[in-house]
Amino acid sequence: MKVRAVQFAPVLGNIARNLESHLERIETAIGDGIELIVFPELSLSGYQLKDIAAETALNPDSPELAALCCPGRQIDIVIGAPLELTPGLISNCAIHISGGAITHIHRKVQLPNYGMFEEQMIFKPGDSFISIPVKGFRVGLLICREILFPIHAYLYYLQGTDLLIGISNSPFRGLEKDRFSSFAYWETMGTVFAFFYHQNYLFVNRTGFEDGIGFGGGSFYAAAGRGIVERAPLIEDAILDAEIDGEEVRRSRLASCYRRDEHPRLILKELERIINAGHE
Amino acid sequence: MLDMNSLLIEQALLRFIRDSIHKNGFKNGILGVSGGLDSAVVLALTQKALGPDHTFALLMPYKLSSPHSREDGASLCRSLGIETETVDITPMVDAYFSRFPTDDRVAVGNMCARQRMTVLFDFSVRKQALVVGTSNKSELLIGYSTLYGDSAAAFLPIGDLYKTQVFELARHLGIPESIIAKKPSADLWEGQTDEGEFGLTYAEIDLILYQLIDLRRKPEEIAATGITAERIEQVERLIRQSQFKRTLPPVAKLQPRTVGIDFRYPRDWNR
Repeated sequence: MKVRAVQFAPVLGNIARNLESHLERIETAIGDGIELIVFPELSLSGYQLKDIAAETALNPDSPELAALCCPGRQIDIVIGAPLELTPGLISNCAIHISGGAITHIHRKVQLPNYGMFEEQMIFKPGDSFISIPVKGFRVGLLICREILFPIHAYLYYLQGTDLLIGISNSPFRGLEKDRFSSFAYWETMGTVFAFFYHQNYLFVNRTGFEDGIGFGGGSFYAAAGRGIVERAPLIEDAILDAEIDGEEVRRSRLASCYRRDEHPRLILKELERIINAGHE
Repeated sequence: MLDMNSLLIEQALLRFIRDSIHKNGFKNGILGVSGGLDSAVVLALTQKALGPDHTFALLMPYKLSSPHSREDGASLCRSLGIETETVDITPMVDAYFSRFPTDDRVAVGNMCARQRMTVLFDFSVRKQALVVGTSNKSELLIGYSTLYGDSAAAFLPIGDLYKTQVFELARHLGIPESIIAKKPSADLWEGQTDEGEFGLTYAEIDLILYQLIDLRRKPEEIAATGITAERIEQVERLIRQSQFKRTLPPVAKLQPRTVGIDFRYPRDWNR
């Protein structure tokens, strides 16, 4: 499967403008033979929504989403948007569109709420990690901070996913000699997913500044058992194409047997014991 | 302790300057150039981000300003191919003080800073350019600025870099040695130096600030690194005293949604 990550900067709170740029990029991708195109977290709205969230949140029947659901299109699409799935309750969502319809909505479970982040002021958290079929592959969607809790990727891994997709709005920060320290988190997790969860992994991060906060780009593709093989530039807009090879998952599982040796029931039993003992 | 990668910082700041100008519908940036380090660095960054044809510099000396600095500023603008205008603020400032004379050098300095601000904002309209600020993180945190004077700008590219880091970035950007070697000075009166006024060097201030602010260390932990408790207290006092300069004036809340309190929109709303 040919996939494309779109690393760009949406216009904050302007759904119409962002929809236009999504449609343009989708048309280009179709022309390039791409089968799955992935946009970053909150790609239709921008990140620092504050009071804008209540004014711009969409619902699954919104005309903006209908415009992305073009029945004849062969390409699958993953976008990010604020969705008001119940009146008055907005969630930060990753939306999968396939065959002209919304086929899955993942609501962000881990809403950062510290320092510069205030997502719990805006969003209702989700409560599940359900894998989905995409062009014959099994795929799991993660949104930004969810990536940094490896147990979420583990939940997909147990569902037999071939490809994890992490969409992000990660601000760069932390001056070090050779990089911003924030870049390291994402690559570290990508490496873990590829080597220890036998996953192909596509990380898609936005660019641009909002009120002084800069989003670092640096999208990448990590192949199961091989680690990061493709990188988009830091800070600048870019597209990153990758070819997902289902055989890589199989090969890496056979090579190191971590999946065979997983004991989810044992984990479940131990989690229950730990929680019942009051350690939640 | 203050590690940085100048190339990456340059790349981030060029994008920040470009985004800040373009998303607001402008093509041009304008700034006051004193001949000192901060404005030299911001000028070089703005020139790289927008191009020399979209960068304007104003030289705004007062009669007590150092002629040496003025020449450094003018020479930098020439070498960067930037159009400049010199506006001597002496007649404007002295017109006021001839009526309300003062011996207070700080009052004169503040008046000069605010006079430069009015000229800069007037030229920002003439040149259809946004005002690019030159405040660095050290001065923002200790409040070493004139409210509504040098602190007035559309955005602050080096506002999260300590002064010692601005020196490093200046070397990376190839700022002339005559500017880098000069003692940092607000140039409010002849012979003034920032460090002379504080009684602390920027190296000391920055190490205290970095540990207090970015590393969230307690004063006693910082004292263990060999800095005296008195100096740490002095810096903490400056930070607390100047908090008003880093916030908008509070609005008395009376209604359900109040500007500055719970009318919560980003500055880049629809940008």
